[in-house]
Amino acid sequence: MRSAVQARDEGVASFRTRLFTAIMVIVATLTALGFYLAQRKVTADAERNLQENFQAELSLLHKLEELRHAALADRCDVLAAKPRIHAAMEDNAIDLLYPSAKDELRDLMEGDEPPPEQAAQSLHAKFYRFLDSTGVVIKPPNPYDVGELDAKTEAQLALSRLPDTQQIGYIRENTETGGGTIDEVIAVPIFSSYTGDVISALVIGFKPLELEEKNAEVEMRSGVWANGQLHLPSLPKSAQASLNEKIASAVASSDREQDNFRVNVDGTPQLLFYKRLNPGSLFPAAYEISIYPLAHSMAQLHRLRWQIGGAGALLLLGGFVASHVVALRFSAPVKKLALDSEENRAQRKRAEAALVSTTQELERSARYSADASHQLKSPVTVLRAGLETLLTREGFKPEVYEELSALLHQTHRLTGVIDDLLLLSRVDAGHLQIASTPVNLSQLVDEWLDDLSALPDSPDVKIEKEFAADLFVAGEKRYTSLIVQNLLENARKYNRPGGLIKVSVHGNARNVVLNIGNTGRTIPPGENIFERFHHRSTPSTASGHGIGLNLARELARLHAGDLCLVRSENDWTEFEVRFPAADGVNAAA
Amino acid sequence: MRVRGLLWFNAVFSIMPVALLASAVVEGRVELPKSHTAPIQAKRYEIVTKGGVLSTQPPLAVVYLDGAFPKPASLPAKEVAQKDLTFVPVLLPVRAGTKVEFPNLDDTYHNIFSYSPVKRFDLGRYRREERPIPAQVFDKPGLVTLRCDIHEHMRGLILVLNTPYFVMTDTDGHFRLSGLPAGHYTLKTWIDSRTTREKPVELKNGQTLHVDFP
Repeated sequence: MRSAVQARDEGVASFRTRLFTAIMVIVATLTALGFYLAQRKVTADAERNLQENFQAELSLLHKLEELRHAALADRCDVLAAKPRIHAAMEDNAIDLLYPSAKDELRDLMEGDEPPPEQAAQSLHAKFYRFLDSTGVVIKPPNPYDVGELDAKTEAQLALSRLPDTQQIGYIRENTETGGGTIDEVIAVPIFSSYTGDVISALVIGFKPLELEEKNAEVEMRSGVWANGQLHLPSLPKSAQASLNEKIASAVASSDREQDNFRVNVDGTPQLLFYKRLNPGSLFPAAYEISIYPLAHSMAQLHRLRWQIGGAGALLLLGGFVASHVVALRFSAPVKKLALDSEENRAQRKRAEAALVSTTQELERSARYSADASHQLKSPVTVLRAGLETLLTREGFKPEVYEELSALLHQTHRLTGVIDDLLLLSRVDAGHLQIASTPVNLSQLVDEWLDDLSALPDSPDVKIEKEFAADLFVAGEKRYTSLIVQNLLENARKYNRPGGLIKVSVHGNARNVVLNIGNTGRTIPPGENIFERFHHRSTPSTASGHGIGLNLARELARLHAGDLCLVRSENDWTEFEVRFPAADGVNAAA
Repeated sequence: MRVRGLLWFNAVFSIMPVALLASAVVEGRVELPKSHTAPIQAKRYEIVTKGGVLSTQPPLAVVYLDGAFPKPASLPAKEVAQKDLTFVPVLLPVRAGTKVEFPNLDDTYHNIFSYSPVKRFDLGRYRREERPIPAQVFDKPGLVTLRCDIHEHMRGLILVLNTPYFVMTDTDGHFRLSGLPAGHYTLKTWIDSRTTREKPVELKNGQTLHVDFP
């Protein structure tokens, strides 16, 4: 029992452990998923925000540039229509080109550099040059008038051919300080007003418009990547060099004109955006570069991680408690069930054991009765034979014969008891089979009544008979006879002197009922006279061995009939036996 | 015009008395490029540029006798007027050293200039009442493109030649060059700014030579 309880407790404990493990796994998965999703979302949000910012800044820049480009295009159209420019171009007077244009473009070069916010409208150029019909820069006679450039820088203005449309380019101008600056150059075609052909191009150099770093929240740094060189003055040189390579490889490996990637600058993560500034241009590709520190989004991510981690831990704790509670609630009925089933099992085992022992006992007692009866019969037979031999001898005193005769009578009684017991034991063992034949009950009763009156010690009783002749019952004559004998003997035995025995038999097609009543002392109510070895509680002169009624009833029941006490009051005791009628015989009679 | 033509004829004869005695004649036809567009006005000529090549429209050619001829002491002045926003005549052949006047016959300003390497000048803005009439002397032979700084479409050509013997064809290409000296010369024809054809000619006094430029 001890081990069973232990096993049950262990079962409950393991159930709890499994439940908790399952909850833990779910919570851990949820937390991990939360981490993952949050990280993705924050990263994506940050990138999208920065991208939007970048695009917004860039589109602002583009609008300003478009303004400038449109203004320039107008200027160039006007310029190209000028007869002097045409004359210079067409009449092989290149040397007069710059002087002719000087007046027209004077305002581009004059005045101070405007403040950045007016840069787009002012059209303040740093330099300008004309390209000849092959796209080569026409040397200005007086560089001072058109903005001085060193030879290397000037060479960058050349194009492989004259363009049909405006071309935007970015060139690197080396300055004395060695830092170098980026110039935005716009090449505008000059069309012959007569032929419509492109006869030249005007290339104007500007200080590039810069993205305004107005958004204090987003610390953006922007620059230009052109001709394989990054120009981002706010970055240290070493950082520029490393970024330069990354941008070069990114630009080379991707066909896209814009993209972004993560970089590390000064040990902090940054998001770098690039976008082609001059798509489709004849000038070398140039890209706007903006880098945004990711510190803000990293901090946000860090914070969110803590939040999710905390939530996960809380959830886990909750899961722990919940698993305990749930396990307890679940385990209580389980426990009860286990207990109940155990009790049930024990009870059943006990019942089975009892049944087995009872059966065994019953079998043993039945066998014992049979054995005992058999064992008893032979000495009784020997005893009787001896007594009978003694009775046939002569020379004893008469009282000896009397005594011998009484003893012989007792041996007969003993044989009867033994026979009864043997029969009962067979009934108990279920070995007795009724070989059912029609038995003439009327005749049987008559014969027994005759025997009864012939008995020597029969008291003075009157016998009333009330039955038709030849009433047949279905049964075995031996046992039917035994029932009738038992009842009639009892009626005689327990009668009073001068009393009455009344025997009646009624029958119909189904049943035959035999009623035997007698005067004399009645049976007190509550006394079970059908009990085996029953003796009347009240003292009586009459004696029985206490198995007659029991045997009679068992036999009646074996015949599918019954025996019961009808009444026992007012000096009258009546038994009733019901037999099944023999098939068709009574009706025929 | 007729008066002017006569004056010019007299001038030639007065300058070159030799030519009176020895008078050879060359006549023929120059195959002119096909005119792609019909002229807007029958008598109105324009200078058109096609692929950087200047020519008159409808096409006209100048036929001249190339060679070394002694320079006269003075030459009569010629005139290219601006009328109805065009140069009249639109193509003017002159002998080198000739002074050409540019009277403004319109009611608006004109600003005649040339960037041509042969002769660069800029007359500035002036009106019809401008006196003296702005003029330039063309010393070097070659083609001068005349433009107006105010009216960008205006073009005129002055073909400065070393020779006094030159003539413009009619619109069919026919020409007649008379009063020529005898000898071996090269007869040239200017068709447009990029095309000049030439043929060697043997001129004899009193003879009329027929030369066609295919």
